[in-house]
Amino acid sequence: MNKSMWSFRLSTASLVLIPVAVGINYIGKTLASVLKLPLWLDAIGTMLASMLGGPIIGALSGAINNVIYGLTMDPISFIYGITSLFMGLVAGILAYKGWISSWSKAIIVGIAVGLTAVVISTPLNISFWGGQTGNLWGDALFALVMAKTKLVWFASFLDELVVDVPDKLITVLISYAIFRGLPNNLKQLYKSNNKIESLD
Amino acid sequence: MKALTLYEDRNTFIHHVHPINKLIYIFIIIVVPLILPLFPVLIAGIIMNTVLLLIANVFKKSLPIFGFVLLILLTVLIIQGLFHAENATPLFHLGPLLFYKEGFFYALQITLRVLNIVAAFMILVLTTKPSDLVETLVRKGLSPKIGYVLQSVFQIIPQMLSTMETISDAQRSRGMETEGNLFVRIKAFLPLLGPVVLNSLIQTRERAMALEVRGFSSLRHKTFLNEVKNYRYTTFIQFTLWLVLLAAIIWRVVL
Amino acid sequence: MKKIVVENLKYRYPSTEKLALDDISFTINQGEFIGIIGQNSAGKSTLCQALVGLVPHFYQGAYGGKVIVDGIEVKQSSISELSLKVGIVFQNPFTQVTGSKLTVYEEIAFGLENMGLTRIEMLERIDSVLDLFDITAVKNRNPFDLSGGQMQRMAIASIVAMKPDVIVLDEPTSQLDPQGSEEVFRAIGELSNQGMTVVMVEHKIEKIAEYSDRVLLLHEGKCVDFASPADIFSRDDLHEYGVVAPVYTRVCQALKQKNIDKKTYPATLSEAVEVLRGKIHD
Repeated sequence: MNKSMWSFRLSTASLVLIPVAVGINYIGKTLASVLKLPLWLDAIGTMLASMLGGPIIGALSGAINNVIYGLTMDPISFIYGITSLFMGLVAGILAYKGWISSWSKAIIVGIAVGLTAVVISTPLNISFWGGQTGNLWGDALFALVMAKTKLVWFASFLDELVVDVPDKLITVLISYAIFRGLPNNLKQLYKSNNKIESLD
Repeated sequence: MKALTLYEDRNTFIHHVHPINKLIYIFIIIVVPLILPLFPVLIAGIIMNTVLLLIANVFKKSLPIFGFVLLILLTVLIIQGLFHAENATPLFHLGPLLFYKEGFFYALQITLRVLNIVAAFMILVLTTKPSDLVETLVRKGLSPKIGYVLQSVFQIIPQMLSTMETISDAQRSRGMETEGNLFVRIKAFLPLLGPVVLNSLIQTRERAMALEVRGFSSLRHKTFLNEVKNYRYTTFIQFTLWLVLLAAIIWRVVL
Repeated sequence: MKKIVVENLKYRYPSTEKLALDDISFTINQGEFIGIIGQNSAGKSTLCQALVGLVPHFYQGAYGGKVIVDGIEVKQSSISELSLKVGIVFQNPFTQVTGSKLTVYEEIAFGLENMGLTRIEMLERIDSVLDLFDITAVKNRNPFDLSGGQMQRMAIASIVAMKPDVIVLDEPTSQLDPQGSEEVFRAIGELSNQGMTVVMVEHKIEKIAEYSDRVLLLHEGKCVDFASPADIFSRDDLHEYGVVAPVYTRVCQALKQKNIDKKTYPATLSEAVEVLRGKIHD
């Protein structure tokens, strides 16, 4: 029996997971840029937190991640905290519902998380940047679609789609690979049910 | 060890303003131009921010961040100037490209708005020690547990980075390739990331226990080692800020 | 006076089959120094965690019997309330740093803030433990910048500042270099001199023999024996439990030189010297 996935009484073990998740996000992002990979890979920690601790911990990791980035590197991050929060939430709900039990299911989770990012980020991009993402290839597509159709929402949606879905899909698959390798007693730690069985 | 922060330790008036007042200031800077969507309002905001950054002696420190934002804004200016949906009135030619007035001004508005918000955040971030900000928020009612999480990130990230450097040195000395074609670089990602991640996740168990036995989940009323800092003119500044908001609302309603 | 009473303690971790602790009973008196020995997975760490309430409150799982610390039953209390009575220090000094504090001074205050002490009381306690464990010189440094030995002494200081009656040390020197270990053992000697009740798990068997009033031998979750170091280390079947006696005991066994009681072999250097001195003059 697991505790309810919406349990707000966060255990200390799951809270301690949050700073580590933010750290993993940062390490992933740094490595991706050091290795010059054409992806961000900056949400691996959030995804792991969702898989291990459920939607609330996942959402908190996402939101706190962007607050910290905002305070230490790039103030724009604050705005996209909402996207991170929803990504953690969606991954956590799917994980809780048993969607991280195989590679094929993990692909679905990756696409779902990517689409979540697109749906939440597009309005933010439009109200903040007039529709762009700041990614070279995505923005080139944006310009092309704008030139052809003049449909801001459509252009912005496509811009975000080509940038986010592949990135989040790979992010979730990497997280799943790591998750599979974690020892069982560690996974157990985050889903304790607050019940002590009696041996008397 | 250097904690992760943009904070600049100076002794200026701005550094002694209550962190909550800086947060209210950001709120006002974002909200007032929404109530009064006029160019002069945005420009006034930017001038105000610049003056405050200069007083705080951190203007130079803020430039790299603005540089990064401006780069993105430049592409916004180009794309909107060329392709904005309402483009009708030609403004100027740049080689074969025709820029339109509607798109250009739309992009200009976006640029000013973004610069305004980023500058307001920079005032907070560059002049407030993160630990002071978090401690203030905890005193004002933020859960001490969330406070702990925020505080610890600032130190855990540099810790993990140094662990990663140790590991990547070790992997490289064992002959792992981290340069070359895309496939080689992708193949290097997991072996570099995996050990740090595994190690830090496993450490969470003992850290959680260590926190628990030091009363982390105690129901007693938490106290603070540090005394409340002596912030300057807190009530006056707060009053003035709310007055600005009120004035903006009245202006909007009356005009 | 009885400080800790353990009665028929049984415990099983969640999602496991085997009992980690299997029907353990013993009593520890006020001011005693107790050493716990046994091979890996004998249940030493689990027993330590049962004394401070991490078992069962942190791990959950299945629990039977009773642990009573200073009149409080562990199962009915909480980890944070128990922390006022009994503290614990773990192996890895690094994971015991909270990570949320920028100086050693503030780090030690972490537990005191959670206890709700006044600022004056905190300052007094922190200054006193800094002095006791000889880390006053580094009080303004970042906790992560300390050496392993300093970091572990800071961890002990952080616990002692909460003024528990009992302190549990779970292999406190296993991740330290020889110099760091020596620093920590000196600090532990200090604790014992202060009259604190100490429970220590440690692989450096000579240290167990030197400090302990009594030694508890664990094997597969069961308490095999609980007696004086000389009694425990003179057992013929010690190797069956994966334990090697102190070098002094083994030397005296080889020379067939027993203590004055004619039953046990010396466990410490001073006992061995006592026994052997007479012989050398012969």
